[in-house]
Amino acid sequence: MEEDSCKNCRFYLPVDVFRGLCKLTKEQAGPDNPSCEKLERIPKCRYCGHYTSEKQFLGKCMGTILAYPDMIASKCFDFQWNRKN
Amino acid sequence: MSSDIQTPVNYYGSEPGREVTSRETKRQPTPRANEARELYFEAKSSVSMEFPYWYTRRWEQLEGEIPIIRRAEALKSGFEHLTPVIFPGELLSMGKASYLRGSYPMPWLSEAFFMAAEDKLYKEAQESGKLTADTFTTMGKGGGNVTKSEGMVISIAGKFGLRVEEMPIMLEVARKWKDKSVDDIGHKYEQLVPGYSEKEALMRSVICMFDSGYTLPQGREVMNYYYPLQYGIDGIIKNCEDALADVAGYPDMDRLYFYKAVILMLQGIKHWIQNYADEAKFLASLEQNGKQKTEYLEMAERLNWISSSPPRSFHDSLQILWLFHVAVLNEDAISGLSPGRVGQVLYPFWQRDMANGTIDRARSLELLECMRVKFTEIDCFASMGVVGGVLSGNTFNNLCLGGLLKDGTAAANELEMLILEAGITCDTPQPTLSMLYDEKLPEEFLLKGVECTKIGTGYPAWVNNQVAMEFLVGNYSHEGMNLEEARAWAIGGCLETSPGSWMPLKIDDVIHWIPGGSAPATSVGVHFLNLPKILEVVLFDGIDMRTGQRIFPSHGYHLESYNELWQAFKDYFSRACHVLTLTNNIQHDAWRKIAPSLVNSMLKPDCLKKGKDIGQMGCRYNTTFNIESCGTANLVNSLSSLKQNVYSEKNYTLEDYRKAILANFGYKTAQETGSYSLIDQLPTADYVLWQKIHRQSLDAPKFGNDISFVDAIMKDWEDWFCEMTHNYRSLYDQPMYACQISVSTHGPMGAVTMAGPDGRLSGTTFSDGSVSAYPGTDKNGPYALFNSATCWNHAQSQNSQLNMKIHPSVVKGREGSRKFLELIRAYLRKGGFHVQFNIVDSRMLKQAQADPEKFRSLLVRVAGFTQYWVELGKQIQDEVISRTEYEEIK
Repeated sequence: MEEDSCKNCRFYLPVDVFRGLCKLTKEQAGPDNPSCEKLERIPKCRYCGHYTSEKQFLGKCMGTILAYPDMIASKCFDFQWNRKN
Repeated sequence: MSSDIQTPVNYYGSEPGREVTSRETKRQPTPRANEARELYFEAKSSVSMEFPYWYTRRWEQLEGEIPIIRRAEALKSGFEHLTPVIFPGELLSMGKASYLRGSYPMPWLSEAFFMAAEDKLYKEAQESGKLTADTFTTMGKGGGNVTKSEGMVISIAGKFGLRVEEMPIMLEVARKWKDKSVDDIGHKYEQLVPGYSEKEALMRSVICMFDSGYTLPQGREVMNYYYPLQYGIDGIIKNCEDALADVAGYPDMDRLYFYKAVILMLQGIKHWIQNYADEAKFLASLEQNGKQKTEYLEMAERLNWISSSPPRSFHDSLQILWLFHVAVLNEDAISGLSPGRVGQVLYPFWQRDMANGTIDRARSLELLECMRVKFTEIDCFASMGVVGGVLSGNTFNNLCLGGLLKDGTAAANELEMLILEAGITCDTPQPTLSMLYDEKLPEEFLLKGVECTKIGTGYPAWVNNQVAMEFLVGNYSHEGMNLEEARAWAIGGCLETSPGSWMPLKIDDVIHWIPGGSAPATSVGVHFLNLPKILEVVLFDGIDMRTGQRIFPSHGYHLESYNELWQAFKDYFSRACHVLTLTNNIQHDAWRKIAPSLVNSMLKPDCLKKGKDIGQMGCRYNTTFNIESCGTANLVNSLSSLKQNVYSEKNYTLEDYRKAILANFGYKTAQETGSYSLIDQLPTADYVLWQKIHRQSLDAPKFGNDISFVDAIMKDWEDWFCEMTHNYRSLYDQPMYACQISVSTHGPMGAVTMAGPDGRLSGTTFSDGSVSAYPGTDKNGPYALFNSATCWNHAQSQNSQLNMKIHPSVVKGREGSRKFLELIRAYLRKGGFHVQFNIVDSRMLKQAQADPEKFRSLLVRVAGFTQYWVELGKQIQDEVISRTEYEEIK
């Protein structure tokens, strides 16, 4: 499991690929910054019970459909939290 | 420096004083817009894979489905899954992707160019000549461009940043489209065109800049927002359901699938808007600041409302306009999607709000400034050759002002005055502005336009309303165009005259006739033909001397007379048009079958009425394919030089010229100097051997000085070119027409072209536009330039383009404004179609080149668009610096 970083937090607002803002503090945040104690994970394929990892940055959704761990899945109708995470 | 073309800055009039003169003082935007713009300045162009992932996933699930339904479902899935992002202080929300300057690849169009260089797909594309233009393009090194990979970010095409963790999925998704994309399918079938190998040779030599069917298949057109403004999304769905019931089971069944596809697509867009509304509510729940909290809640309410219903206010209508603009941009790679005459389309809503006191001018201005920032955030993901070489990173969302109403009276209104004011206070590249100049427009309105142009934004460009209408009636009358309908036109993209229609917007039982685009993309025919390069190939009997490759068979002429030379040029030019028209038609056919337009089709009259999408000629006007040229002044100057030095005065033979061209007139090659700029070239020790022929070539009569010898050559070219384009038929079996804009192609196209008989050195940038003089060669003042530029009838062509650079001191103050307006009028009254200005001291540009970080917000006008200086490639920067600077305008 990748260490949690700001990009995995639902309070992270991405401005571009290099940086973003914290929706709570409104301060600048980097996507790869270590997360703070207020972290709430945003639904991503990596946290989904349907996701299986196959290699770095790639995996499968429901065993057959190509997927990738960093896909934000908050709008995915099939997302369900993987309790093992 | 040994020759005139080396002079970095050329002045007409006296040289200005030593101090760099600033532009007239600009006013500042509202704090809200200023903060948004500051955030934009710090943001980099960023790519995400969300939309293409979900699009492709759904597409694959529907193997075997009716193609247009499959496309609709894929778009629906893309829209539904986009993660909403709302930035602090926004009054208008929604964007293309989940970054401020977000965009994404569309592998259903083309998948090759963004693959890793070592990838087989990329190599195949390179071999077929599709990517040659990329090689000769330089991207700007500053601003929002991600020019190199860094840390967890990969640079694509020298402009876009992609997170490392999304690279594998991008490649996997791209591979899924191999042999299925518009690019691949089009390529498979275009090879069936007799003489196809000639097409590939044209692309490799960059005689043609790029294909159009899979690069930017839509755009250079004017949006039409009537249906969502009048009916709202649910109203359109209801209309489609009714229409669907009427046609189900009857012949011409494509209508059934079209209506169903529009319904599906709109359901996706509804969901997308509602996702944004939910995000606004979420942000409100986090917000401690009462004012901001209220704004988020109002935004949520507004978005929820317009996800189903027509607008209730000016703010609602502006949000609808923006979201449908983005929605179209999300269905295809598009540049030049112009919002059109926004101030006239939204005027009824604004007028009502002003009357009932729910909005005031200050709030209107703030909203319009926010609109400017949102439009500026638009990025278009395409190859380096397209994004850099043609577009210079610009997206060409042209907002038009002025012109005439349906009844022939002046169309200018108070909201348009505010749009101009917002262009002054919040100067950003988008939307660029164009003034549809008509003698009936009020003086106060025109002076407001002048005030805006004067601050150095480069907008509004000044366009001749009557010339455009003459062009439209001339080219579209067989489709029903008349004078009244011609008045609804606007500019699509940087400068493409586009047909419009009057739509009956009914508010409070009063009908307001609003203008909107009613034709598909223009500039989708033959994308930029390199005129000086074709002349070079004529001189070397069909060979591209840069690569040594044969492009055309021998022309068979001895070139013993000027007429033979001219005929050989026309023969080669016609050959190029022939094969490129046919191959482009096949690409566009692949596009309409694989990725038919749904969002744009739904918006454009009369697609909903006919039950046909744009690709099935659903639009009211469909004669929009064109043939584009680049390097006009260099061609004309070269012909002038050969006519004088070889055929009239016999100072040299053609063989002498061939040798001089191969020797680059004794200068180092651009490859040796490492710069394709026209001001960086260095002589070799052998320069003296070529000095005389170079001097006489430079001294031959040049276009732009009111000299009949060379202007007659210009007129011959224009009369022939504009007429011959009608001989070629588009995919829709309509005659094509001439389009004469350079955009940024004069950089890379110059880069591949040897020295010219006009004295231009190898690899250096051509003159911009189509009636602009070559930098430094217009020596007789602006009115002489105007006479030359109007030596032919501009209504024969979709456009003509004239760029001028004027020193700020010349137009200073109220007196300067009036003088400036008279200058503009003088050109347009002569029949000029378009003129645009850089009001800048060239030395400021040189300072900006040396120290770009201090000039992050500096805007310049290139050729049909305004761009941040730091986001331009050096080729184009040098060309703008080198343009003749008018220090007097008498």
